[in-house]
Amino acid sequence: MSTVEIKLSRSNRIYRPSEPLQGKIVIKSSSSIFHYGIHLTVNGSANLQVRGGSAGVVESLYGVIKPIKILKKSQEIRTSGRIGSGTTEYLVTVDIMRGYLHKSLSATVEFIVETDKADLLERPVSPEMVVFYITQDTQRHPLLPELKSGGFKVTGKMSTQCSLLDPITGELTVEASSVPIHSIDIHLLRMESILLGEKIISETSLIQTTQVADGDVCRNMTLPIYVILPRLLTCPTVLAGPFSVEFKVSVVISFRSELSKLHKKSDPTTPRLWLAMETLPLELSVCTRRQQFIV
Amino acid sequence: MEFRPRNYIAEEESHALPRSRADDHPLFAPSTSSNHHKVDVVDHESHDFFDPLRSPAANAVALNKDVEDGESSSTVSSEAAAEVSVKEWTTFKRFLMQKFPVSKMVSVSLMPDVIIKTGKANVKDSTTKHLKELDDPANFAEEDVKVITGQEYVSRLHELKDEIKRAWTAEDRVTSLKLSIKVARLLMDTSVLQFYPTLFVLVAEIMDMLGNLVWERIKQKAEFGEDGSRLCYLSENFKEINICVEAKETCNNWFCKVGSVRELLPRIYLELAILPCWRFLNDRPANSLQRLVLMTRGLADPLASVYCRLYMAHCARKLPSCDTGHLITSINDIKILLTRVLSTKEAAHGKSVDNRRLLVSLMEPTIEYIMKCIFKDASQRQVGTVLMELGLGRNQVELFGSNPCVSVVLHHLLKELPTEIVGSYAVEILHLIEYSNDKSYDQCLNYRLLGFRLCERRPTLDILNAAVDRIIQVVTLLDELDDFLKVVDPYVDIILQNQMDNHLNTILEGISERACKKEIVDNDVVGLQSILMKILSHFKDLEDVFALGHFLEILDVMYGSSRISIDMQILNMATRNGCINDPTTVQLLFEICQALHDGIDFVNSKGDDYQAARLISRFVLMVDYGAEMERHLTFLVECRGAFGSINELKETLVHSSNHLATKALKDGRKHLSFVKSCIAFSEVTIPSISDHIRQLNLYIETSEVALLAGLISHSDGLVDSAISCLQSVDLINGSLTPVDVDGMVTSIQKLCSLLVIVPGNPELGFTHTLKSILSLITSQSWITSKIKIRISCAIVSLSATLSQNKLPYNADLEILSNDLLFYGDSSYVQELLSFSEHVLQNLVEIIEQEPSGAARGSMALEACNCIAASFKINHNIQPVCSKLIETAKSNLSTNDAYLQSTIKVLDKHLPTSGISASTTI
Repeated sequence: MSTVEIKLSRSNRIYRPSEPLQGKIVIKSSSSIFHYGIHLTVNGSANLQVRGGSAGVVESLYGVIKPIKILKKSQEIRTSGRIGSGTTEYLVTVDIMRGYLHKSLSATVEFIVETDKADLLERPVSPEMVVFYITQDTQRHPLLPELKSGGFKVTGKMSTQCSLLDPITGELTVEASSVPIHSIDIHLLRMESILLGEKIISETSLIQTTQVADGDVCRNMTLPIYVILPRLLTCPTVLAGPFSVEFKVSVVISFRSELSKLHKKSDPTTPRLWLAMETLPLELSVCTRRQQFIV
Repeated sequence: MEFRPRNYIAEEESHALPRSRADDHPLFAPSTSSNHHKVDVVDHESHDFFDPLRSPAANAVALNKDVEDGESSSTVSSEAAAEVSVKEWTTFKRFLMQKFPVSKMVSVSLMPDVIIKTGKANVKDSTTKHLKELDDPANFAEEDVKVITGQEYVSRLHELKDEIKRAWTAEDRVTSLKLSIKVARLLMDTSVLQFYPTLFVLVAEIMDMLGNLVWERIKQKAEFGEDGSRLCYLSENFKEINICVEAKETCNNWFCKVGSVRELLPRIYLELAILPCWRFLNDRPANSLQRLVLMTRGLADPLASVYCRLYMAHCARKLPSCDTGHLITSINDIKILLTRVLSTKEAAHGKSVDNRRLLVSLMEPTIEYIMKCIFKDASQRQVGTVLMELGLGRNQVELFGSNPCVSVVLHHLLKELPTEIVGSYAVEILHLIEYSNDKSYDQCLNYRLLGFRLCERRPTLDILNAAVDRIIQVVTLLDELDDFLKVVDPYVDIILQNQMDNHLNTILEGISERACKKEIVDNDVVGLQSILMKILSHFKDLEDVFALGHFLEILDVMYGSSRISIDMQILNMATRNGCINDPTTVQLLFEICQALHDGIDFVNSKGDDYQAARLISRFVLMVDYGAEMERHLTFLVECRGAFGSINELKETLVHSSNHLATKALKDGRKHLSFVKSCIAFSEVTIPSISDHIRQLNLYIETSEVALLAGLISHSDGLVDSAISCLQSVDLINGSLTPVDVDGMVTSIQKLCSLLVIVPGNPELGFTHTLKSILSLITSQSWITSKIKIRISCAIVSLSATLSQNKLPYNADLEILSNDLLFYGDSSYVQELLSFSEHVLQNLVEIIEQEPSGAARGSMALEACNCIAASFKINHNIQPVCSKLIETAKSNLSTNDAYLQSTIKVLDKHLPTSGISASTTI
């Protein structure tokens, strides 16, 4: 039994454009094996992935859209030869051709390329907060009659330009509400768009929900907003010709209502009679604190 | 056979020890002579000797020293502090669980999947499916309430804890985290009310466990490389800079994972669980607390919110240094929550008053704990800042402004405030209590607490006066006795110690007014007991207490065990200072005894009641009417009527009446009829005493008194009663203990000594009484052969004594005793002799029949000594003695000291050849 494994030099697998990708190829084998060459290939592409459960426009396009190639680089590390038994380590490499009788040994490792913020987004991360203001009058969808007549007011502010490693911060105050509040949540949304011919196809997915108020909280008490960004589901905001990745953050207030119990499974960002919401664009950039992490 | 003639006066002189005058009384405290001290030192030297009185004291001194050391050194190591906080937390958790025990059933509005397992989960699935079909919202809501036994819930949580631990050890940390999140989620359901504190404790334990596991893992990563080599050693106060990238990365991952939890409550709990891990990422881990405490505001449920804050206070103590900012924010937020809970609008929301009270009581421990944390090691200046931040103080001088405080919060604040602050600001605090009056806590209890705090360390007299004046004004407005007592109780101490007599009167008057207005209940009685007890222990003289206005009135309204305690305390005081002479006091005490007697079931008395019986008896014994002896006897008669069920007391009554009789006799013969009354009283009282030995002794005692008064026929009657009392022992007592038997024999011997001076009755025969006693030997089953010998010997000795020309002692010169009545009467001596011979024969037979050799030997020696002392050893007696000595020799060792000395005695009395010589071969 032979295995091959790539070990990158950094445990967080984050490299910058100017830096070499370093690591080891570890081949473990009980006996010696003959090969026709060892190749290391680096692939970078933008793929449209369809996750189970999502349906609609994107699914129908799945076959149509080819992955957009960003980078492909292959390098032969060793010409044909023999590898002794035991553990052998090579600096950098992978893909071991072993002739038609044997399956090639291969391993894939995902790594992250992070560019300095100056390369991608010129604007610095601003500490400025966006003020929001949610009342019965700011809602474009129909509301419960008692909510419409009694009224409510939730105000707050939030940082909408964030670095990936920093949390979204802000605060929120329930100033008034005629109907008791059931919950206040911060939804993080990702919008991926692809140019297909003349049309722009986009998909929005809810990637994280963070509750900031559970129940009918005291009025005029400031509640903090503190949302840590999920690393595997976020990336810097990208607007790059054929495709774009953008983010939004949405404050959703749900009011106590018998009706809501009937729709437990529904998408929390869909406007409903008992919901009030405010959605703000969110611009994510690479970390500015990286320097202190990688020494 | 012939009795040995005795000259008692000469014998006494020859046997008396030489006497010399002592300079010091041996029991007085030793003067400063060095001798005594030397003895002490020797005691100290011997280490193996355990002195139970001395050694704990020595330990206590050492302990005190420790405590002092701890206090003086301001810098206690953080490790020790952590230990203390762990211990305090454990105690607090136990207190929580005990205060709110798990009720049988817990109804949970949304039964979480983690709690329902296997079979039950299936049931739930099917019902929800069914309900979905029906699609009826009303029904759905109803069915959601599930009931589970509290014990099941608890054991399921313990299982979960094990599961989490197991997953962790199996390197499956994701499962550990997922399960922990589920567990934390359980605390979102506050519908369980009573059960919530227990649930909290169990969940907090699981969170703490997870926190420790994460901490250890990251610490391990920081200290050791992947290959197991040691990278560094983290000291107790390590810095973020010492932590390697890998460890930081892992740590950061944990915070990211925890941060991605959707619901607010489990997210806060989990971050708190791993709060100490912030230390791996930055040097100001306490900063997170400020954010977390604000996040907690998002929990609208008051119960969930305060317990979350409690967990926060607990977790914050795990950080090396921490200011109290977040705790104060917590308390301020809790105040807002409480105000909301208490507002009438919320009450209309369907929360009943009872439910609200329960809610506040469930919230209270969290306030208590957080308050304790705030004031832990707070300096006076810090206290000022805290009070300002809590919205009470205006500045460092005016620590208590005019803003009211939620009363339950105020209560725990008052509990923790340093004594100096309480002392200097007593009046201000009093005002604060006055306008902090809401339904969260009984205002009276806050007044009361202030009183107790003031007792800890007395403030200056002017502050004290002002405070007490104000309290008196406050209490006069209280209508309920219960409230009145609650407030007044601690202030009574202050009033007594500062001689504020007018206030004491006001208080007693206030109590009596309220107590008489309507019937008092158990609670009031306990309050009254506390106050009366304080008054009693303050005054030295009972008369002073009785002189206090309303004291007796208040005593009268009391009942039950509290009344008994007070009565006993009064009697204790009354009987500790010698005789009680004052007739009014006697009358009052008599009434108190009656109340005490009525309150206790003496017939079935056990334990504590014995103490009451003893006190009443002691009181009766201490009463002294002086020259009014008739009055005293009447008093005894009254006592017998009133306390008839106390056995011990009847004995006291007999002693007292006998004492009265002897006292009267000292005055000469003029009180003879009074003496007769006394004796009659005793004679009538004795038979009602259940214990036979006591009866016997009292008969003998009374008989002695009668003889002293020259009342021979009374005396005879009493002796007869004593003997018949002995005869009935068998009928009543099935089994006697060896101690009882011993006492009985001693009493019989005493009776024999009394008979020496009782004049013989020629009509019945001189030996009539002796025969009655002798007959006991055969009739009573409890009399063993050994006792038979002792009684027989006593009778032989008595006969020998009666035969003397001059008796060793006399009752009274006016009574003619046997030596004068029958001087030279040969028939008298003859009767005694023949009776003795008969006894002697029996004696020898009894010894011969004794199966045990050793017993036979010692019995023989006892008999032999008696014979040698009573008879002239002549040819009649000598064979008997020789035979007895032989018996002894064959059964005892020749070295036996008793045997040796007996032989010596015999030798001395033997006129001619020695017994030992004649018997040696």
